[in-house]
Amino acid sequence: MSDYDAIVVGAGNAGSAAAITMASKGLSVLLVDRSDPPGTKNLSGGVLWGNDLAKILPKWQSEAPLERFIQDKKIGFLTEKSSIIIDFKTKVFEENKVGHTVLRSKFDPWLAKKAKEAGATVIPGITVESLVKKDGKIIGVEESGDAVTSNVVILAEGINPRLAIEAGLRPPLQDWEVSVGVKEIIKLSPQKIEDRFNLSSTSGLASEYILGNLGELNAGAFFYTNKDSISLGIVAPMERLRENGVTHTYDIIEQFKEHPSIAPLIDGGTVAEYGAHMIPEGGLEMVPQLFGDGYMIVGDSAGFGFSNGLVLQGMNYAFLSGIFAGEAAVEAKSRNDFSSSSLSTYKRKLDNSYVLKDLRTFKDLRKVTNNKSMYTTYPKMLESILLEMLWERGQPKKKVREILGSCAADLNVGKLKTATDFYYMYRRM
Amino acid sequence: MILDIKERLGKTKYDIDKSYAHITVDDRICEKCPHHFCVMACPAQCYTMQDGKLNFQYEDCVECGTCSIACDQGSVKWNFPKAGKGVIYKYG
Repeated sequence: MSDYDAIVVGAGNAGSAAAITMASKGLSVLLVDRSDPPGTKNLSGGVLWGNDLAKILPKWQSEAPLERFIQDKKIGFLTEKSSIIIDFKTKVFEENKVGHTVLRSKFDPWLAKKAKEAGATVIPGITVESLVKKDGKIIGVEESGDAVTSNVVILAEGINPRLAIEAGLRPPLQDWEVSVGVKEIIKLSPQKIEDRFNLSSTSGLASEYILGNLGELNAGAFFYTNKDSISLGIVAPMERLRENGVTHTYDIIEQFKEHPSIAPLIDGGTVAEYGAHMIPEGGLEMVPQLFGDGYMIVGDSAGFGFSNGLVLQGMNYAFLSGIFAGEAAVEAKSRNDFSSSSLSTYKRKLDNSYVLKDLRTFKDLRKVTNNKSMYTTYPKMLESILLEMLWERGQPKKKVREILGSCAADLNVGKLKTATDFYYMYRRM
Repeated sequence: MILDIKERLGKTKYDIDKSYAHITVDDRICEKCPHHFCVMACPAQCYTMQDGKLNFQYEDCVECGTCSIACDQGSVKWNFPKAGKGVIYKYG
């Protein structure tokens, strides 16, 4: 007889969503997290899309500690001297209020509290040291020599899944599977934020950039408004960092802050916190075996993230995978069968949802985001085209075709290479 | 606005476990390492070169796990800190 129906390791979005799903259906659930309060070791860029959260907590928009709803979304390129931005502001965002900025040290404790209210036992400040195995089946967790058993263990450890690796449930992570995210919180008064970004007291801005000023690092950056602070940071692929070999990750973020179009946005602000977190970037190829006898893997631990340089998502996949694992455990309980074949319903649910559909649709995306030209040649090319078209300097005007031709020649780009790049972007993005 | 990394790390809250280093490195392996990529990769400057020798300290670690991948020589042994010790984000 097990101590619990389910043990969930990690009270982030995926783990707490799984715990809520199971506890609200009457399963006995233990949710443990290595931080106290849960979530205070967590960090993310900070834009939460809550469609899936609404499935378990329909009143999340009024109850959760949210910062600002995303009214204004910007995407674009930075070069050394320029910024080329698409500014998308829409009533649709305002009417639906599904995207919000969040601070995880406030949001995650709230979500874990919801798991407790649903009936789960929540124990923070516990670092599970290993998984307990018996006859090839995962039957519980161990801490300081004490074993606690369950019918199923849900691994929601995040992007650094020590337990899953140690137990041989997934191979150690490799360079191509991750990017390094570095983030700062910049304190700025609500008044300044609202005046500077043309926002109301509840609306917010989320910007994502391709950094065309950092050479072949293939780095991106984000800039989000909170109530009285800015979340900003950079994301750099481990593969490119290693290849570069001379750039400190902690310097890249300062280069972003110094950019002529970013510096004025944080003028007068003070750094309140510095942190870092890895991001899953490996797509479908990094997804491990998702279930087995007595276990399931959810969220970042499963590699569920989406990133194409201009869109960064992961919390939505975390919620939905957590919910599906929870549902699969509830169904397994009704059959009293927690074997691999019984828990395979988790994978089937993922297969039929946008989680694995997205990863399959964009399985070749890394070939585009790995393309160094996306971060070097093309931002510069765009800048040259715009300078030719928008800067009057007493020179005869050129047709677009001529501009393109002279830019390509200046940047030493072959027509065939460019045509191939755009063909693959068109095919894969 | 541009701050030295040490100054930035000073803004982040920690409850340091003085009795347990959650990451350890093997000096003998580091001595022979051809790249010391950990020095570039670690966002918290836990790895530095001093007089041609790798120096590691775990106290400023923000527990991102980057070094566990950056080190491809088998030197870094990475565990989670115990009992809630280590970094405590106020914002996250």
